[in-house]
Amino acid sequence: MTPEGLRNSAINHGIIICHDCRKAFPISMDHQSCPRCGAKLHKRKKHSVAHTWALLIASTIMLVPANFLPIMTLKSLGQGDPSTIMGGVLQLMDHGMMGIALVVLTASVIIPVMKIFGLIILLLAVQLGWTTNMRQKMWMYRFVEWIGRWSMLDIFVVAILAAIVQLGSLASVTGNSGATAFGVSVILTMLAAHSFDTRLIWDKHLEQLEVFP
Amino acid sequence: MSKTEMSTIDPNTVLVCPACDLLMESRAVPDRHEAECPRCQTVLISSRHHTFEWTLALAIAGLILFFPANVFPILSLKALGLVQSETIYESVFAMYNNELYVVAGLVLFSAIIIPFIKLMLMAYLSTCLLLHYPAPFLAWAMRGYQQLDSWGMLEIYMLGVLVSIIKLVDVAAVTPGIGLYSLAALIIVTLLTSTQLDSYRFWRRIEQLERRT
Repeated sequence: MTPEGLRNSAINHGIIICHDCRKAFPISMDHQSCPRCGAKLHKRKKHSVAHTWALLIASTIMLVPANFLPIMTLKSLGQGDPSTIMGGVLQLMDHGMMGIALVVLTASVIIPVMKIFGLIILLLAVQLGWTTNMRQKMWMYRFVEWIGRWSMLDIFVVAILAAIVQLGSLASVTGNSGATAFGVSVILTMLAAHSFDTRLIWDKHLEQLEVFP
Repeated sequence: MSKTEMSTIDPNTVLVCPACDLLMESRAVPDRHEAECPRCQTVLISSRHHTFEWTLALAIAGLILFFPANVFPILSLKALGLVQSETIYESVFAMYNNELYVVAGLVLFSAIIIPFIKLMLMAYLSTCLLLHYPAPFLAWAMRGYQQLDSWGMLEIYMLGVLVSIIKLVDVAAVTPGIGLYSLAALIIVTLLTSTQLDSYRFWRRIEQLERRT
């Protein structure tokens, strides 16, 4: 494709596509239902920036109880205190299981924080017109979208341990309310990533290319 | 863009990138090749050989594997003569018993219900499309499958099982059950299904069949 061709966005040529089945239609069909799959046609995802901010703020708020409330309690011979996510990681390190501690730390702490920062950068890119390094931004979005689900790891670990470690007074595991907050936070960031429309950054990028060619 | 240019483009002859809105001429993609957006590197079309046959075979294999993966124990724990085992459903039930209803719901949906619905939808779709049978709800099933895609989390549950095994190694003897092997096979089948799915060809076949009715 020629450099000029790479500046052709469909919307400037009167074409929109269905978000679900990707079929192209004339722009006059905006707000109608897609004849092929029945989804509503929109030029861009509706209120993308506002929805993404709202979900992102909600998930950031949920991360606070998720990290300060205990997620599970291991009682062995009647002894044991509730532990938080970081507490669990430190416990694994104390037992010399560095590898697994790193996996849990990545999935439960590093990924959620990275996802939130990544989405904030993308949102600000749209709102403030930070449109350099477009390839990097797309790579970042795809990464945030793909990695999000892996944070559910700790939730599954709690659920599995609570089901299997039921040896009466010898050892037992129960889940605590921090798990709810963490699970909700993960779901909210996944929804935030889904509601972001990357085409908005490209619209800004092309706008700026016209002003400063 | 001039107004005349806007009216001359036929939506049926173009391909539009869903991630950056680049407008391209639609061209046939040979079997086993992928079309990538030249502007943002998003994969636009991944053309698969015998896509309907593959997805049907994989969906049936997945439905067969789904039952042992859910019925047989995934892990068994032995300590001082006590034996405790768990299935995916029992981890949901444990969260329910701990009064963590949201977590129980998350595990139930992401590790049991959504993977099952995805397999059923794919079996239905690929059977009808392979046989050119204009069944009802084809577009609806395809949209549902695409939307549920990232919410099935079997592979993360599997990683949770592995983390749990390592955490329990010090406490007691853990043995993997038939359920774990079935779950591993089920995950491979589900991942293969998404790689063998040629959604471009699926949507085109759905369109042809809908036109016939």
